[in-house]
Amino acid sequence: MSYIDPLYFVFLTAGITVGFGHCIGMCGPILVSLSLKIRKKGTLYPHVLYHSGRIITYTALGGIMGATGSFTLIAAHIAWLQKIILTGSGLLVMVMGLSMIGRTPWGNRFKETFPSGGIITKGFRKFFDGTSSPAYFPMGLLLGLLPCGPVYTALLAAAGSGMNAGSIQAGIIRGMGIMACFGMGTLPSLFLVAKLADMGWLKKRETIYRIGGFLMIVVGFYFIVKGIRY
Amino acid sequence: MLPSMILKPPLFFRGMTFRLKSRGISALECILICCIFSPVLINAEEQMIPCNVHTEACIFSSAGRMITLEITPRPVKAMQELQFKLTIIGSQIHKLPFIDLGMPGMTMGPNRILLTPGAAGTYEGKGVIVRCPSGRKTWFAKVTLPEIWDIRFVFDVVY
Repeated sequence: MSYIDPLYFVFLTAGITVGFGHCIGMCGPILVSLSLKIRKKGTLYPHVLYHSGRIITYTALGGIMGATGSFTLIAAHIAWLQKIILTGSGLLVMVMGLSMIGRTPWGNRFKETFPSGGIITKGFRKFFDGTSSPAYFPMGLLLGLLPCGPVYTALLAAAGSGMNAGSIQAGIIRGMGIMACFGMGTLPSLFLVAKLADMGWLKKRETIYRIGGFLMIVVGFYFIVKGIRY
Repeated sequence: MLPSMILKPPLFFRGMTFRLKSRGISALECILICCIFSPVLINAEEQMIPCNVHTEACIFSSAGRMITLEITPRPVKAMQELQFKLTIIGSQIHKLPFIDLGMPGMTMGPNRILLTPGAAGTYEGKGVIVRCPSGRKTWFAKVTLPEIWDIRFVFDVVY
């Protein structure tokens, strides 16, 4: 009979409760911003990609914690990176918001530097316009590194379980398992936010895009301030 | 009277249900939204004992038993390994105590410190208080003496 670590269930449940009690408040604004940016209403595909990226990042971090068995050591090493990501994601969300209301900064300079039909221009346009669903996957990978209290708590458990595992391999697997379960547990609440922000019932879509754009600018600014002060 | 009310809700509620459905929000989603706020309401009713962990131990006494909780090193900082020492004076306990760390009014996930017995009446364990990017610094340590007490010491940490 195979053995399943009870910590997996504990952190799957923790993910669900944390999702409704914490993530909606802290990550909700990002998800609402992303939801408003998706032009094809009613589709969950970009959200699936975004959350897949986020869970992969969590799982990778869990593997590292499980391998080393030390939370404080890794947390201290990635603190500077998280500060950059918090600030950078704020900038990213802000630029996306500006592009949504048709005021992309450095637009003219960008056009002068890179040819309009080039790969770089097309890539950047797709990414910032949010019309390309695959762009949500790297976004999820990146934003999975955002500093977050409950994620730290789950990583703490991943490190602890790695420390108690018999080998490094076992530690990696247990750490990854805990973080993957935790990430999956947060899905119901975050999909609910995405569904509520879908605004499929609204007839004047352009109005909501504008509101969404301004919302993204505010959220981006908030993240930049948090990043600087972190 | 009662069954008819259940089968046929008052007009106001029927109207509300219709309006919500027309906006793509189901009753299930409304229930889930209510669930989001329920932990906050539950936490608001719990008693908490404030203390300054940077300068002193947290103390609670009742019914001939006194417990003290010391957290070191001081000042108590987030994201570093901390030593938790619990001392019980008075009638002894039969099951091992443990400490749960969390934030008042905020779900932070399970962060339990299992304590091991030391010298007479003392229990020790190691743990980490994580950092919340919201900037809030108030944490609690819920000390559980199984089948006896649940005490929450509330304190501020340094980021």
